[in-house]
Amino acid sequence: MSDNVSVLGFDTSGAHCGAAYFSGGDVVSAAYEDMKRGQAERLPEMIAEVMEAADADIGQLSAIGVGVGPGNFTGIRISISYARGLAMALGIPAVGVDLFDALALGQDRDMVLCLKAPRDSFYIQIRAGAEVSDITTWTPGNDLTFPSGAICLGENADILANELGIERMPAKYAPASAIARIAAHRFRDTVDRPKPLYLRPADAAPSSTPAPTIIT
Amino acid sequence: MKDIEIILGIESSCDDTAAAVVTADRRILSSIVADQTMLHSAFGGVVPEIAARAHAEKLDFAVEQALSEADVTLKDIHAIAVTAGPGLIGGVMSGVMLAKGLATGSGLPLIGVNHLVGHALTPRLTDDLAFPYLMLLVSGGHCQFLIVNGPDQFERLGGTIDDAPGEAFDKVARLLGLSQPGGPSIEIAAQSGNDKAFAFPRPLLNRDGMDMSFSGLKTAVLRSRDAIISEKGGISLKDQSDLAASFQSAVTDLLVEKSRRAIQVYLEQSPVQPALAVAGGVAANTLVRAGLKDLTSKMSVEFIAPPLPLCTDNAAMIAWVGHELRRIGHPGMTPLVPRPRWPLDPRRPSMLGSGKKGAKA
Repeated sequence: MSDNVSVLGFDTSGAHCGAAYFSGGDVVSAAYEDMKRGQAERLPEMIAEVMEAADADIGQLSAIGVGVGPGNFTGIRISISYARGLAMALGIPAVGVDLFDALALGQDRDMVLCLKAPRDSFYIQIRAGAEVSDITTWTPGNDLTFPSGAICLGENADILANELGIERMPAKYAPASAIARIAAHRFRDTVDRPKPLYLRPADAAPSSTPAPTIIT
Repeated sequence: MKDIEIILGIESSCDDTAAAVVTADRRILSSIVADQTMLHSAFGGVVPEIAARAHAEKLDFAVEQALSEADVTLKDIHAIAVTAGPGLIGGVMSGVMLAKGLATGSGLPLIGVNHLVGHALTPRLTDDLAFPYLMLLVSGGHCQFLIVNGPDQFERLGGTIDDAPGEAFDKVARLLGLSQPGGPSIEIAAQSGNDKAFAFPRPLLNRDGMDMSFSGLKTAVLRSRDAIISEKGGISLKDQSDLAASFQSAVTDLLVEKSRRAIQVYLEQSPVQPALAVAGGVAANTLVRAGLKDLTSKMSVEFIAPPLPLCTDNAAMIAWVGHELRRIGHPGMTPLVPRPRWPLDPRRPSMLGSGKKGAKA
């Protein structure tokens, strides 16, 4: 990767707002705030602050990296919609990065990755060497098969660590920093625009009023 | 081209994903509307999460198509106008964030626009109508009378206290086994029906003021239908047509009578060019339109009905509001924060959804 690649990464897929500016092979400036709501207002400001702290011009970006979840649907769409608008105006690619890839960045051990899912459950992905499992939903108290010697990391990973009796590690990078780094590697090969990683179908029930029988 | 301002409009507050390019001299260079009817058809109404998912992945394509059909690029645009409410928050959020991204990347000014103002100012885009005029906004989500005094001055005379008529058309269509959207299918079924076959109520008709109610009417149609079903085990095509015609007639009577009162109140202001303008999908109904036309001609008031694609949700009207606001030096919603509720006339909040979060529209 050439040193003049510069990438803006951001993520609002959980109860946080994060942005990072990657340039010259490393993250130059970054910000992270815990946040339950208000990301739609804070994200553009935070990005401006991160760019200013690095004395960087948004017009010089090579690409944008954005977190696609899994996580909070509204939060994911806030970042993705902003990324797609910014990418269109700047004429550069926007790269969707899933949060498991962000969590796993810089780790070389076998891992149980976890992200918060609704009702005290977790989204789980297991990585053993080069093998990446499908994402499953797991609730504490149930069985979970994982490679021996695996570590766990992610949101509320202490719960997993206790339950499974395995070692817990912090993620090496904050989500936005990991996303910017990953996007810097992927943007040249990215064709699709970022879209949310939904693990549940939309909450919708078919109409409860049946149509009447038509007598002919 | 350079001297005349051009605005890009973006609309995503319900189930239409829309983008448009409009000039300050009232030319619509493009107006893209991708509707989601198919996505929602199985659920008997617009499902907010399904709408939000579609907007998030389709809106930028709509913008690209609008720019390309208008044969302009972002460099030719002077400002971006986006619907910031009221509406389904997931869709509004996607539209506002996309617009913020576009504005940040292009350096263009961004104007947050009220969706209802879009409908209310459409007669100025289509017919260059002078203020003040009376507006009947009658759609799937809204029903209200407004006196439009200026681009940011609205006086709300009254509106529905429960369902919007468009919603009632959709629900009644479903009850009668007719296809969605309900407006056109009820209109077609009603053509062969007897509008006096069923004596449906005209809620609030004899009550003073310009408030309306459509929920009870819908329930009355359901009761009549169920009575037929329990007698015959189903409804005949004739029952279907008669129910549709009687329902449509009740809606028309309500809208026409309440319009008569609204016009009386409006005429007290002695407008120079008295006019009643309509917007919203229900304004496309032939019977409603004929009733209003007849009423206005009797009262010597001009009747303005914009073409259907500009009556229903679209982004050209949002771009147009951008022009109107810029002309009076109004920055739009500041700060720009997506709002599910945003009444036009804060002095007279709607009776609709006025819970602890305030009036909806």
